[in-house]
Amino acid sequence: MLGARPLLSFAPVIRSLRRVVTASLVLGTSVAIAQPQPAPEQPAPAPGPALEILVRGHVIDAFGKPIKGATVTVEGGTSTAKTDRDGFFKLTAAVGATLLVDEPRYDNGLATVTGDVLDDIVMLTTSQTTETIEVTGEGPAEAPGAAKLDRQELQRIPGTGGDVVRALTIMPGVVNLQLPLGYNGVVIRGSSPQDSKIFIDDFEVPVLFHNIGFRAIVPAESIASLDYIPGGFDVAYGRASSGIVNLTTRAGSDKRTEQAEVSFIDGGVIAQGPLGKATTYLLALRRSTIDFILPAIIPSSVDLSLTTVPRYWDEQLRIDHKLNEHWGLSLSNVGTDDIFELVASKNDSAKDKRFFNRTRFARLTAAARYRNGEYAANLALSGLLQEFTFEIGRYQFIKAKVAQITPRVEFTRSLKHWAGLADVVWRLGGESQTSRNGIKIALPIEPREGEPQPAVDPMDTSTRFDGHVVSPDLAAWTAVSANLDPKIRGTLGVRAEAFLRPGQALLQPRADLAWKLVNHWTARVSGGAFSRPPEYQSELLSETAQAERSKQAIGGLQFEPKDGIRVQGSVYYTDRTQLITHEPDNSLGNNGRGTTKGAELLGTYRGGPWFAWLSYSYSHSTRVDHPGDVRRLFTFDQPHSMNAALSWKHGNWQLGGRFQLYSGLPYTPPTGAVYDSDRDLYIPIFGPPNSRRAPLHHQLDLRVDHTWHGALEITGFIDVQNVYMNDSTVTYFYSYDYSKRAAFKSIPIIPSIGIRGVL
Amino acid sequence: MKVTLFVRFALVALVALVALVGGACTGDLPEPFDLDHTRIVAVQATPPGILSGETSTLVSLLATEGATTHEAPPEEAIVVSPLSLASALAPDGSSVTAPDEAALAAARTELGLMPTEPVPLRVAVSYNGRALVATKIVILGEARSNPSIDSATINGMRLADLSAITIDAAAETRLAVDATTLDAPSWLSSVGTVHDYDQPTAYITVDTKDLIDGEFALVYRDAKTGVTWRVWPIHADGTPRKPQ
Repeated sequence: MLGARPLLSFAPVIRSLRRVVTASLVLGTSVAIAQPQPAPEQPAPAPGPALEILVRGHVIDAFGKPIKGATVTVEGGTSTAKTDRDGFFKLTAAVGATLLVDEPRYDNGLATVTGDVLDDIVMLTTSQTTETIEVTGEGPAEAPGAAKLDRQELQRIPGTGGDVVRALTIMPGVVNLQLPLGYNGVVIRGSSPQDSKIFIDDFEVPVLFHNIGFRAIVPAESIASLDYIPGGFDVAYGRASSGIVNLTTRAGSDKRTEQAEVSFIDGGVIAQGPLGKATTYLLALRRSTIDFILPAIIPSSVDLSLTTVPRYWDEQLRIDHKLNEHWGLSLSNVGTDDIFELVASKNDSAKDKRFFNRTRFARLTAAARYRNGEYAANLALSGLLQEFTFEIGRYQFIKAKVAQITPRVEFTRSLKHWAGLADVVWRLGGESQTSRNGIKIALPIEPREGEPQPAVDPMDTSTRFDGHVVSPDLAAWTAVSANLDPKIRGTLGVRAEAFLRPGQALLQPRADLAWKLVNHWTARVSGGAFSRPPEYQSELLSETAQAERSKQAIGGLQFEPKDGIRVQGSVYYTDRTQLITHEPDNSLGNNGRGTTKGAELLGTYRGGPWFAWLSYSYSHSTRVDHPGDVRRLFTFDQPHSMNAALSWKHGNWQLGGRFQLYSGLPYTPPTGAVYDSDRDLYIPIFGPPNSRRAPLHHQLDLRVDHTWHGALEITGFIDVQNVYMNDSTVTYFYSYDYSKRAAFKSIPIIPSIGIRGVL
Repeated sequence: MKVTLFVRFALVALVALVALVGGACTGDLPEPFDLDHTRIVAVQATPPGILSGETSTLVSLLATEGATTHEAPPEEAIVVSPLSLASALAPDGSSVTAPDEAALAAARTELGLMPTEPVPLRVAVSYNGRALVATKIVILGEARSNPSIDSATINGMRLADLSAITIDAAAETRLAVDATTLDAPSWLSSVGTVHDYDQPTAYITVDTKDLIDGEFALVYRDAKTGVTWRVWPIHADGTPRKPQ
């Protein structure tokens, strides 16, 4: 009886079911691959004496260009041939035989004889081989509406400058901001930036953007893939009430390569390769270059002193070591350092016009992965050091120093059959996150979601604190996934979370059901409870704020008629409770409620030289701040968002275009102002919160890449955003007395030019 | 600790500035130094702090687009707080008389002040049929006086000695006044651009799109609700610079 096998006798497994089921292929070896891959169910060659047939094949490079003069031989045989000027060859070989393709400029190619006409044999250079990390994410999605992009796709999306986080905006459900200024996060399904989390290798990072240049803190070259889960995420993830984005860093190749890239925004180098037989490394370092340009483009008429020109550094290090056939170890580090200082005056000693910011952090993670048959485990210990300083004028500042330690474990047991179920995977995990936050703060009262920005009073230091806050949080989770039927797979799990500072313990059940309806069609439903602790600035200082909570229900359909084509649609409803709000005495309470409902559609095509992407999302996100208050829109409610992207590769050229169309965001209009003569300050009187909306925005972005091959492989690109210069209104800003307003327009056109060299 | 967009909002200032330079912002908004814009420039109580039985007079400096500035008593005025001292305001709103110590003691209780603290009486005044509204604090229970601006200079000349100002449109006109870090001078003009208009040292530039005749004012606030102003006619002579 299968049920007698105790599930509790688990042993370590890989920590995420997603990673088990996602088809992935690491290409670090010096071979080229034939396209497409033979299907696993393809019949094996018949036993006995092999029948030799005349075989015709075609050899091309990564850009589809024929390779002339390549030598094709039959492994273990004598038959040989050379490719002609169009890359074609003919020779006799047995069905099932392996063909070796040799051409000095490329790594060796392999192909299996499956008939008289072979699929194209693609030969790759070493750098191309090492760049390809993962077969495009066609594995089962984690939840309805989830999507995955690998590095090469991220770099092909026009209008993003090859930036990881800007590429996120093509995802259905991600709120599209024309200028993502000052937002430290991604807004998913119309809620707040605080409600969603960004992870790098499963650990949260405190900063996502550099302060200038709108660049992600991790270059696309350093990541392997991006997983986007807008809701209904797994029990292994927590501390978020909307969605998550997980960036997986790239392991070093077993071929040594160095590459450099420079643009008008930043420049960086990446080195990777083997360290002995079982160890690889990847080291990346990047620095802004825009700070060399910025002083030159600011007109002398602007009252500004850049006492420290804005600049940033970021770095990533990853070392992977295969201890034995069961154990793999990794050590990774992500760090960033941003600084700027300016005085809004030509007089750089005008202290009340001074702004200073320094943001830096380093996260170091050591992980061990174990896999042995049915058992797997992932053990990790991650430490974070963070410093944030912001000074504005003479009196206002925030200085925070954070030290955080996070141990995390997850064990998995997989069974073919158990208790009448098939392909059973059981996971059990836990983590603790303890932060010591040293905080000095003298700032005005922070507005909550939807509260308009108050008048800027440089003397206002209503929020004062000088001390430290320790916030220990604990979490444990378990989940079982199994095939209930050959066509139905379910996952049932629960996450228990304890936020010790507010003194809260929460139990969050989550479930997911995938049902293969007919050929190519899969239905999926997910639901569960989620929460995020009070951890942002004044929330952390509050003695009364509790965690915000949400309940999500998501249903979706997925259609995959053939490899490379996927269409998925989903509808969702999120009920948000315990939203943190200001009380009449300016303390924080949890009196807000809100709902988000919407639908998303995503169609993707990946085939040959083409990559196409079409996404549309509808969302309606509203909230009530206190019982009896009028229901209003969330600040990031964006009803319509559409993205269409198309990219084409041919030879050494790659061309792409992207069209975006999305709703403007709500805003709160001031209806007048009262002048405070003693403070020389106008106090605005606002109309209903978020009662107006900025206009619809649309733009077209184009990108061209060209590669030159030689001893050094060089790729240059031009990425132009908003090519037809649609300068629609992003929002409005007001005169000092609120008597007049002017439109803050999107920047008409943003060209980005860069060059990358690979040795 | 995570930082919300509120703090990072200020970082937007830099980026917005860059965007502004790049032409992302449009519009022609009035500048805070511009006297050619209808508004209440300042409200003065003379004296700003009074003892029981003394009277303080309220008057405002008003700017009007296309016209010269003028001083005027409030068209309407009400006491905003403490409400128990509503009767301290004259019926026509032009003055405040400090009540006796018993009334001040009751007001301290209402505002949660210590027994020896002066009482801030906040008065709202309005003009142009309530289109312009301002608040002003008159200190009750402590004698105070408005500050002096005798130290103010323009291109090194004492402003107090001048009855009218002529500046060179082709050059920067330097302004200076002695001020502590808690004082708040404001240099205002309908001619040219006043750079660092809220700093103790500032300067005026004139370009071809600016008026060449108008008014210049210095409004000087101290940290104790005192305020003083003076207005001069101003003329820009010579060839203005081209706009940059």
